[in-house]
Amino acid sequence: MHLTDVIGILVETVVLGSIYGLVAIGMTLIYGTLRILDMSQGSMVMVGSFVGWGVMVVAGWSPALAILFAFAITFALGTFTELISVQPLMGRRGFDFEMVTFITTFAVAIVFANVALQIFGPFQKDVSPVVSGGIDIYRGVDLSYQNLTMALVSIGLMAALGLFLARTRWGLAIRAVAQDLDAARLMGVPVMKLYPLTMGLASALAGIGGVFLGAKFFAYPGAGDLPLLEALIVVIFGGLGSLPGTLYAAYTIGLIQATAEVLVGTTWSLPILYGIILLVLILRPQGLKGRPEEARL
Amino acid sequence: MSGGPRETANGAVSRRADAILEVRELWSGYGDTMVVRGLDLRVPPGQTVVIIGPNGHGKTTLLRTISGLIKPRRGEVWLAGDRVDGRSPEHLASLGMVHIPQGDLLFPDMTVEENLLMGAFLPSSWRTRRAALERVYGLIPGIRERAGQRARTLSGGERRLVGLGRGLMREASILLIDEPSLGLAPVAIERVYAAIRDIHDVGTTILLVEENFTHIGDVADIVHVVEMGSIVRTGPLEELSRDRTVVQTYLGAL
Repeated sequence: MHLTDVIGILVETVVLGSIYGLVAIGMTLIYGTLRILDMSQGSMVMVGSFVGWGVMVVAGWSPALAILFAFAITFALGTFTELISVQPLMGRRGFDFEMVTFITTFAVAIVFANVALQIFGPFQKDVSPVVSGGIDIYRGVDLSYQNLTMALVSIGLMAALGLFLARTRWGLAIRAVAQDLDAARLMGVPVMKLYPLTMGLASALAGIGGVFLGAKFFAYPGAGDLPLLEALIVVIFGGLGSLPGTLYAAYTIGLIQATAEVLVGTTWSLPILYGIILLVLILRPQGLKGRPEEARL
Repeated sequence: MSGGPRETANGAVSRRADAILEVRELWSGYGDTMVVRGLDLRVPPGQTVVIIGPNGHGKTTLLRTISGLIKPRRGEVWLAGDRVDGRSPEHLASLGMVHIPQGDLLFPDMTVEENLLMGAFLPSSWRTRRAALERVYGLIPGIRERAGQRARTLSGGERRLVGLGRGLMREASILLIDEPSLGLAPVAIERVYAAIRDIHDVGTTILLVEENFTHIGDVADIVHVVEMGSIVRTGPLEELSRDRTVVQTYLGAL
């Protein structure tokens, strides 16, 4: 293995890991507070990819505006999704809340995908690189400005989320709900408002991730399917409900995938990745950073 | 001063708020098991009312029902003249009810200071959180030094103190405290009760439950003895603690 390969792997790891992290971190946020696996997160990626295409290609506006629009639209959609598919089930007994919301959020995702299919048709919309050029980091290892921007914005957003959770009133409230629901309510946290807002926030991050993934690949109604699966794998691999675990897992998975791609090619990179995930989860079912029997932000 | 309901001409019930908290014929529990069974209680403003009684006789369930964590099966809860049974805990918190629960319910992966700040979550108290933080650090010894430490790493006594401090981060119309001495070493109990006495002395209305008489001497204005989910004896502490039946039946040998 040459130094060129090593640097190439590292660059791809940071880019892939950052986008994985951005899409998956919302899922962790939702699992931590609501104790559900939100299957509509993939459709937020899909919506984000279309918003990116619409704003940058159709309207010809700047990528910054695409990010802003994606944030606003997917925030609203995420809030709406919580209100129609999760909130009505809360406080009721006699069923498995986690399993039923798994299905109800998935149902919403299917609806979103078909609405997108109806509006935009099945064909992939090309979102040509909006940021052109790049830098040659090391003898033939290119880092396009587009990849660089995506990685930096993703990292910046995750850092902002961290600060929000650590420093602000509502950020503390989200963590409080994740750590002890009864105590948070005794402090006066209006959980029935906090839940939809948390899902809105998480969806907005996935939506921005969607702008990036759309620009890296395409915008189309199925654009959220693979990211949803990957996000699920990242959050379970990292330990459900653990934010540091999610980041750790996102970059680990990015690293494994990038290494396998460079060393053995794309055909084998996914089988190798999933083989390693299988092995890790058999040895450590609670994930990399999860604590057995509990999951907290 | 009557706290009873008055029927008006059209049958509506109005009530003078001469008690901060009033509980009438309250039934509450878990599933089909009723733990609180037809309990009546009044807490006048500025007073500390203490409920004592053995474990498993409904003291914790009573407080959890009053603060909204459990919905009552039957009966009424009135807070400052408004009927509030069945309301959510967050709504009751916004009306000024503060419940310091048994087992602390701290946020384990937050620091001590973050836990305290959550006590000031409501908008009215969030603005003055820094001043409240200083006041609580001053009132409760030994927790300022732990400000940056995660709650899960504290000792039992420290947790109780932080739980108490968190409950003091905002103005309370009534403070519910659940067995503050439970599982603590004597020194820690003294610190907890010294803090409660300070709160009592500034005129806070308090409803406190304990298993026995041992520590409540300095704070109790009125004492109720609870048995099987309802109140069986009521009176000032001196009177009850002289009553041999009460002492022997409910409190063991002194």
